[in-house]
Amino acid sequence: MAKNLKTTSVGSFPKPPQLMAARARYRRHEITKEQLQQAEDEATRQVIALQEELGIDIFVHGEMERGDMVAYFAENWQGFSESLPVRSYGNRYYHKPIVEGPVALGKAAGLTVGAWQKAAAMTSHPVKGMLTGPYTICDWSFNAYYPDRRSLVLDLARLVHDEALALEQAGAQYIQIDEPALSTRPEELDLAIEAMAIVTRGLKAKTISHVCYGDFDTILPGLFDLPVDQLDLEAANQNFALLDLLARHPWPKDKELALGVVDVHTHRIESVDEVKAGIRRAMEIIPLDNLLIDPDCGLKTRTWEEAEEKLRVMARAVQAVREEEGLE
Amino acid sequence: MKTTMMGSYPKIPAGPGPSVRTAIQRFEKGQLSAQQLYNTYQLVVKRVVDLAADANMDRTTDGQIRWYDLFDPVVRDLDNVHSAGLLRLFDNNFYFRHPVITGRLQYQGGTLAAWSQEAVASSRIPVTVVLPGLFTFLALAEDQNYHSADTLLSDLIDVMHLTVQHLESTGIAEVQWDEPALARYGGRWPQDTVHDAYRALLGPAGTTVLDQSLALYWGPSSSWVDVLADLPFSRLSFDAISDPSILSRLSAEALPSEVGLGLLDARSVRMEDPKALAAVLSPILAAQGPDRVWVHPSCGLEFLPPDRAALKVRLLQDLKALING
Repeated sequence: MAKNLKTTSVGSFPKPPQLMAARARYRRHEITKEQLQQAEDEATRQVIALQEELGIDIFVHGEMERGDMVAYFAENWQGFSESLPVRSYGNRYYHKPIVEGPVALGKAAGLTVGAWQKAAAMTSHPVKGMLTGPYTICDWSFNAYYPDRRSLVLDLARLVHDEALALEQAGAQYIQIDEPALSTRPEELDLAIEAMAIVTRGLKAKTISHVCYGDFDTILPGLFDLPVDQLDLEAANQNFALLDLLARHPWPKDKELALGVVDVHTHRIESVDEVKAGIRRAMEIIPLDNLLIDPDCGLKTRTWEEAEEKLRVMARAVQAVREEEGLE
Repeated sequence: MKTTMMGSYPKIPAGPGPSVRTAIQRFEKGQLSAQQLYNTYQLVVKRVVDLAADANMDRTTDGQIRWYDLFDPVVRDLDNVHSAGLLRLFDNNFYFRHPVITGRLQYQGGTLAAWSQEAVASSRIPVTVVLPGLFTFLALAEDQNYHSADTLLSDLIDVMHLTVQHLESTGIAEVQWDEPALARYGGRWPQDTVHDAYRALLGPAGTTVLDQSLALYWGPSSSWVDVLADLPFSRLSFDAISDPSILSRLSAEALPSEVGLGLLDARSVRMEDPKALAAVLSPILAAQGPDRVWVHPSCGLEFLPPDRAALKVRLLQDLKALING
């Protein structure tokens, strides 16, 4: 593993065509659950192999078993029902969960452990355990049961904590709790922080939270109080304007930043030079020891080819900067 | 009491029927022709305007069925602006392509007028076209050219004025300026600036044959009442879900314009009780006059799944029947 400018990914990878076909066949009851899982495992192998080939440092398993990052948990936990699709942008839709009763793990305790274990067994690199944060699960669900958002968020926090513990007990050294909704309501930042404290309480694994596509101006520097070891933020989407914002605040010594350097919502493949320029700007603001490099967000919005190419550009840019700066 | 749609509506059906989502997917796979995709858009627009008419609404939008987001047709109609990276739309799990201004704004027109004409041709009731308000545009666009908010605002007023002029010939009844940014970021602009900008945009009475309304949603709006009531808007719409305090204000004081009330939560699957809504409305109808009050969802209904959006429309129909008899 590199010492400086470690590389990683945010979470999801595009599902290869074979897996898409298997998912469609499973929905039509043409294959069994076991056959679908075999297709997911094969796709995970592809994700792991690509990261090996590109020399990525900290791996993700690619979330081949998941559709949507919130719906996956809602489909498996108690208290939720599924809505008809709701558009999130362009022609992208998701089944927004509806909270209809008290949320509970039910029979799904340790839901994420199996997929993590399989991926971890495929590589010697560390693989991140991937969870969605309680604030985001609440925010991206319709609440038809709880009297207020706070009570739902805190109940969800206890479930996500149990899931994080299960991942840690299984051996995960990195646990990522995604909170992309965190930047939407500055007035609820304290609630999100309180909930994250419940999630990460007592964990020894390195904890990460991915936050994206929000009005960061309204939640900085308060975001630094989120009780995780690493913040993972998107920057390429707005031509690295985030760095200007971050430069206004001293970066906390005890926190890492994983910086998004390729835009996952455009077909365009960035050039190595523009990614290098973004990394160099970040190095002016963030201490080198605290800086990691990754894409802006999960790559599932791209085709497999686009995702591969974007990661390849990112890896080349990082390697070039390391060499030019004499970094290990 | 009158009712209206507010803006967007789900592009997919609750059951069988034409779906923009499926049509785009099939078009991208080469399974549909451009003509077939175009026809699907028309059918879905027709479904929305028919739904509104069947629900006895007084006005409707086209559901923004062809729109990528609130800015889409405006950006298409302006030179030196393009749609760039996705940003979250305020506190929604919905993302828009933010406009980037790279040169002096020029109006070319064409797209919005064509889409509006199509909606008018399909609709049995008068059509409203929703446009991004001046300050919502300023808040969410990226300016790479002007570097002067005043100059940009001045040019924005000019091109939006041209947009309204061009829409006059399409047969629509109303232009609605959506200003969630004024509600959300209330203190960002001096009230005089907002007042003067809209005074310039609306022009003197008789400037246009179209009604021009303004909608505030997703934040507190009470502080804007005095500023906006002084302007010749045909209707001021408020989101009573995110700012319930507006109800007491409107119960106590008649506004010069008609009043729109977002009483149905367009971002919640919980269904309101028509009788409870009627009770809330009663003092407002008394204060404003029963024929000067509109009721509508708090914002566009596209934030709901299609079955729930249809239920909200039906609820609006029931409420209207309850109030008007």
